[in-house]
Amino acid sequence: MVAPVETVLGLSAVLFGIGVFGFLARRNIILMLVSVEVMLNAVNLSLVGFSSHLADARGQVLALFVIAVAAAEAGIGLGLVIALNRNKPGASVADLTDLKW
Amino acid sequence: MGLHVAQAAFYYLAAASVVSALLAVTRKNPVHSMLWVLSLFMHVAGIFLLLGAEFVAAVQVIVYAGAILIFYLFVMMLLDLPGEVARPRFGRHWPLAAAAGLSFAALAWLARSGAGLPPAAERTIDEAAPPGGLLDMGRQLFGPFALPFEIASLVLVAAIVGAVVLARRRPAAP
Repeated sequence: MVAPVETVLGLSAVLFGIGVFGFLARRNIILMLVSVEVMLNAVNLSLVGFSSHLADARGQVLALFVIAVAAAEAGIGLGLVIALNRNKPGASVADLTDLKW
Repeated sequence: MGLHVAQAAFYYLAAASVVSALLAVTRKNPVHSMLWVLSLFMHVAGIFLLLGAEFVAAVQVIVYAGAILIFYLFVMMLLDLPGEVARPRFGRHWPLAAAAGLSFAALAWLARSGAGLPPAAERTIDEAAPPGGLLDMGRQLFGPFALPFEIASLVLVAAIVGAVVLARRRPAAP
């Protein structure tokens, strides 16, 4: 065991907190999506940490599924960004209020 | 001796990934942010390697750093870059966002110490299928996880079709 599982989970918690901050604070929609990727990576880290701690491959299998879903999310999210940019060129997230009532 | 080197490498990778993540969410230039995220992904892949998850580390480098991040960079370059640099990078509510991130990290940290983790599993010496190795993982993927594995392919197909439909240029409305 290279590092105790507590250390890995603490690192994962810190990375997830940074991702939450980035998602809530950034005003650029693409960088908000990238912050989501940082959060997903933090979750993967804790899954792999548990997998290594419990000597069980299921954590790594779940991490693979998380990566597959992250790829799908990137495709859909960036498709939305392109469609958005075509309809409202140069819009920032603060201008996107069409769904508000 | 080897363990000390591995431990030093782990703490270096951990510190570097935290610094990369912090720089990624605070840099003004979006492309610089993206490159710091690339550095984060590479360091996390190194941690996966140290934790004995070789296949996940390879997938992290190939799929995350190689495909997903380049896709993000590509879309970023298609859109208006100079305007992004001039714009404020955080909303006015960023202290609230920082508080939310900090409290979430603190919460996860507390849950980590209070949960009562089970002790580390005994390593059985099994040359054919070391636990957590690639062979074991393949058996899991095509055994108990066969259905989720197929559903993942469905999710990816749905995402491809959805991305094409969303980003397609529509003919002028009649």
